[in-house]
Amino acid sequence: MWTFLQRFLLRLCDGAIVVVDVVEGVCAQTKVVLKQVWLEHIRPVLVLNKIDRLIIEMKMQPLDAYVRMVQLLEQMNAQVAELFTVDVMSKKENITDSSSGLEEADDSNIYFTPEQGNVVFASAADGWGFSLQDFARMFSSKLGLREEELQRSLWGDNYFNTKTKTVTAGAQEKAKKPLFVQVVLENLWSVYDSVVIRKDKIMTEKIVQNLQLQINPRDLKHSDPKVQIHAILSKWLPLSDTVLRMVCEKLPCPSYMSEARAEKLMSSLSKPFELLPEATQQLKTAFVACSSSDDAPTIAFVSKMMVVDRHCLPKNKVRLLSSEDIALRRQQVREKLAQFTMKQEQGDNVAVQEQQVKSEDVLEDGPIFIAFARVFSGTLKRGQELYVLGPKYDPGATIDNSVEPSGALKDLKAGQYVTRAKIGDLYLLMGRELECLESVPAGNVVGIGGLEEHILKSGTLSSSLACPAFTELSQMVMPIVRVAVEPARPCEMPELIKGLKLLNQADPCVQVVLQESGEHVLITAGEVHLQRCLQDLEECYAKIQINASQPIVPFRETIMAPLEPISTSNAGRVQIETPGKRFSMRLRAVSLPEEITNVLEKNVEVIKTMPQIQGPGHLDQTEEEIETNKKLGLQWRSKITKLHHRLNHVFGMNGWGDNAADRILSFGPRRCGPNVLLNYTPITLPCLWNKNPTDIVFERVTLECLNSVINGFQLATLAGPICEEPLHGVAFIIEDIAIAVDQLAPLSHGEDGDSNHNGQSQQQCRSFSGQIMSAVKDGCRRSFTNQPQRLMAAMYNCSIQVSGEVVGKIYAILSRRHGKILEGDLEEGSASFSIAAVLPVVESFDLANEIRKQTSGLASHQLTFSHWEVIDIDPFWVPTTDEELELYGDKGDSINRAHVYMNSVRRRKGLAVSEKVVEFAEKQRTLSRKV
Amino acid sequence: MSKIFTPTNQIRLTNVAVVRMKKGGKRFEIACYKNKVVSWRNKVETDLDEVLQARTVFTNVSKGQVAKKEDLLASFGTEDQNVICQEILAKGELQVSEKERHVQQDSMLKEIATMVSDKCVNPETKRPYPVTMIEKAMKDIHFSVKPNRNCKQQTLEVIKMLKTQMPIERAHMRLKITASKEGRKLKEKLVKLCTSIESEEWEDSTLIMVCLIDPGNFREIDDLVRSETRGQGHMDLLNLKEVTEGEETVE
Repeated sequence: MWTFLQRFLLRLCDGAIVVVDVVEGVCAQTKVVLKQVWLEHIRPVLVLNKIDRLIIEMKMQPLDAYVRMVQLLEQMNAQVAELFTVDVMSKKENITDSSSGLEEADDSNIYFTPEQGNVVFASAADGWGFSLQDFARMFSSKLGLREEELQRSLWGDNYFNTKTKTVTAGAQEKAKKPLFVQVVLENLWSVYDSVVIRKDKIMTEKIVQNLQLQINPRDLKHSDPKVQIHAILSKWLPLSDTVLRMVCEKLPCPSYMSEARAEKLMSSLSKPFELLPEATQQLKTAFVACSSSDDAPTIAFVSKMMVVDRHCLPKNKVRLLSSEDIALRRQQVREKLAQFTMKQEQGDNVAVQEQQVKSEDVLEDGPIFIAFARVFSGTLKRGQELYVLGPKYDPGATIDNSVEPSGALKDLKAGQYVTRAKIGDLYLLMGRELECLESVPAGNVVGIGGLEEHILKSGTLSSSLACPAFTELSQMVMPIVRVAVEPARPCEMPELIKGLKLLNQADPCVQVVLQESGEHVLITAGEVHLQRCLQDLEECYAKIQINASQPIVPFRETIMAPLEPISTSNAGRVQIETPGKRFSMRLRAVSLPEEITNVLEKNVEVIKTMPQIQGPGHLDQTEEEIETNKKLGLQWRSKITKLHHRLNHVFGMNGWGDNAADRILSFGPRRCGPNVLLNYTPITLPCLWNKNPTDIVFERVTLECLNSVINGFQLATLAGPICEEPLHGVAFIIEDIAIAVDQLAPLSHGEDGDSNHNGQSQQQCRSFSGQIMSAVKDGCRRSFTNQPQRLMAAMYNCSIQVSGEVVGKIYAILSRRHGKILEGDLEEGSASFSIAAVLPVVESFDLANEIRKQTSGLASHQLTFSHWEVIDIDPFWVPTTDEELELYGDKGDSINRAHVYMNSVRRRKGLAVSEKVVEFAEKQRTLSRKV
Repeated sequence: MSKIFTPTNQIRLTNVAVVRMKKGGKRFEIACYKNKVVSWRNKVETDLDEVLQARTVFTNVSKGQVAKKEDLLASFGTEDQNVICQEILAKGELQVSEKERHVQQDSMLKEIATMVSDKCVNPETKRPYPVTMIEKAMKDIHFSVKPNRNCKQQTLEVIKMLKTQMPIERAHMRLKITASKEGRKLKEKLVKLCTSIESEEWEDSTLIMVCLIDPGNFREIDDLVRSETRGQGHMDLLNLKEVTEGEETVE
């Protein structure tokens, strides 16, 4: 899990210590870390850890251990070389050079080599560690060699020639012990052998004397050999000293920054350094200089917001009060009391006052956020005012018209990413402890308080607006595990939302999405991460019980009907009428071509604004319409006409006849979806596009009926017959419509009738519009069910990076989950494949876990929503012919995926599912023996 | 040696569910398997042998008394046991078994919860509550499903009860009301029924108003518009339920 947490801190680092277990070897995790380090241009150093396990657990001989370490180092370097090659190759692509470019590129100082001192051999458990330098110093006099010479030859295939007293190459060839084994490992082994394995007291004492160590006698007498070895070796070869020395010598100084890294920090992927504004480019010198003088611009990068409990802050810590403090407090209390009594005399303000006091109390005990930051240039002082640049801030956009922003993050309008903030307290981060500071010079890592209002997850602090915003790192691990969270007690919803907001701020790897169904979906990077997030939510952010479950997956319903819009065949044609036969209509459901639904889906926003232009047809409204038209921007109107023409064109191309778009009465569901209601009757009805229906006068009855028809259509498209999910890409065609106007006439001109009759007719009229609505809804459903029905599933775009050896397993996982592989290619220069696939959302639950398990973590994947896809199985299909029965059994549920999905949705919604309570009557448990 | 009576030709039935019917003053019974009759009536089970233990009509199943042919003929007008069995299966009385009742109640509860979640929103976010949460809340207020009342009625009741438990309200309907006569008088009355009025325009004497209403008041408003304006009023349903759509990232 730490891989994705530390990546946010990498940006602040100058170097990295890569720790590898000599027993486990190079794992997938190690490769990921190395890659990340490489991408960020950070110098790594290597620690080979757990060498004690080679001795005690594996019982290896010094020579075997040496061979193992050599191999391990080779593997590590192979990884580095691979990264290097990919880098060079990608550069070569830009230049389009015929030569590979590998020969020219200098790769001499990127590898891990003990001679150079960037490798430490250690056992953290026993507290020791050494580099070649240590042993070279120890043995130079003994072997009669110079220290530097020995250090150069200590690692590698060399042996010590006792006769000539020189180091000669080719130990393996001559079956001699390599120098490293002879000088270093054998000594270590002998210490372990005598202390831990043979537990030889005399020998142990002798070793201590030989090494001239001062060791606490109590440790030496300790019965546990582990304590003894720890005491001896941590004195002899202290790990902390060795590692610290390596870091100091081999890693760049915090105040040094190479030009390349400065450029990399300042430019993002989309915007190369050369394109940045002039003033911004000049800031590079400030980065490189890393000066902490007052005239240097102050630049700091906040990589994350840490949560700290309020009472952990130094200022809130309990400390002894001096007498002045006590006097001061007494004074304050007295003043407050005086104020209070005065207020009480005034009477009315008391309640307000009390409330204020209360709200202050509430503020006091919540967790607070401290920004984890690194100062790149200048000096950060308490109380300093700086610009806070959001991650999306672009120096080019605002540099000329210097904005003077104020206020907090939430006051910002869209497109604004700058606020001005006063630096609160500065803290020195010492593990859990915080120490207050007055100022922090460049190159240091610091905790900053008082930025909650200004920074959400990460941001940049700068005294100049020319500074570019540091972007987030190239994301290697995307949040992928999705669960729906809800409070255990429904009344605690507000607490949950508050908690989720805090969590989102505190953890850069979490996404929280509020879905259309009202679910809060928490997206985390992995199962372990999820567990921790839920625990954090329960214990410190929301402080309520939380349930997590599989999120609801939406479906769509559609029909497959390759029918012409105007056809004589009777398929899917439905005749409906209201009771009393005053209204009748003939309907047909036809599937819309994909092109049309695409156009409709892309223009949802445009369609949504259309009712504002015009309600569905009112003749006495023209003036008002003109009014509203004026109000609506010209822009929208032109968009609508554009959509109209586009639709006409697309309909025409798909053989729906000319001007089919003019026939559209409504879109659905919610008047903006990918389904349409079309008018193919000889009667002209007020249509969607016609803004000024002055030429034709419609009767009020027709309009009212049409309104009900449209409402019925909306209801039908919102919930389909398969499992009450919205429809997608269905056109309902009205072929004929008949309204018995004469019977309705008195209703619409009801003013001249007597009041009693009037009331009655209203009653009728109302129920009549309801009747039409339900009849139309019913008719739409029936015409839908008359066609071959299909379910549509939401699909994820799934891109997977996987190393070559487990590609097969990924394919198996995807096919088991009904995914489709679009492409799978070898990435140039590396041994890993990148696979692109689509996967149904329903099948994606627990995918992250399965992939991780099956591939031992060698694959990483990302999921993004891509499209709706028809599942090409009739959800009601059951085997009928003998062959099918033989193949699938008489239920066929093993292969009918659509049927399974449909039933699961229906069961969730409490709809009737065609399932028997008990499958086999004879196989029930006999409850009573007597009849 | 004493003689032991062993009824070799006696068939004993186990797991019997008896379906009874009275016809022509006579009682008839058939022996069915448990948990199967409701499935047959729902047309989920199609195999008669899976439902009936024996294709025989009894007068008393537990005593094993078979109905007489004359009685059958007199009551049903046929002697065909198959036909009679099917009629009794369809129309007879039956004790619904525990499992069947459980399934029925379960699906009804889920249906009600789905309907509540469909009709209601969280007034703070204007978004629906997930069904699972509604179900839990229903459990918390000790709501029990009444099998003989329809789901919609019970849904409306539940919503009222849930309001005590959590912030919930019915999703509002958006209406556009046009009245060319008596606009002022109508407006006064409408204001009381509407939750909020989004826009209001006057053109000469015509009132055009867009408002949000509680769906429970729809009929009342409809009546009002019709009666006050004497048929000169007009009502458009702009939006069935006013909910926030689409996904949203919480920040």
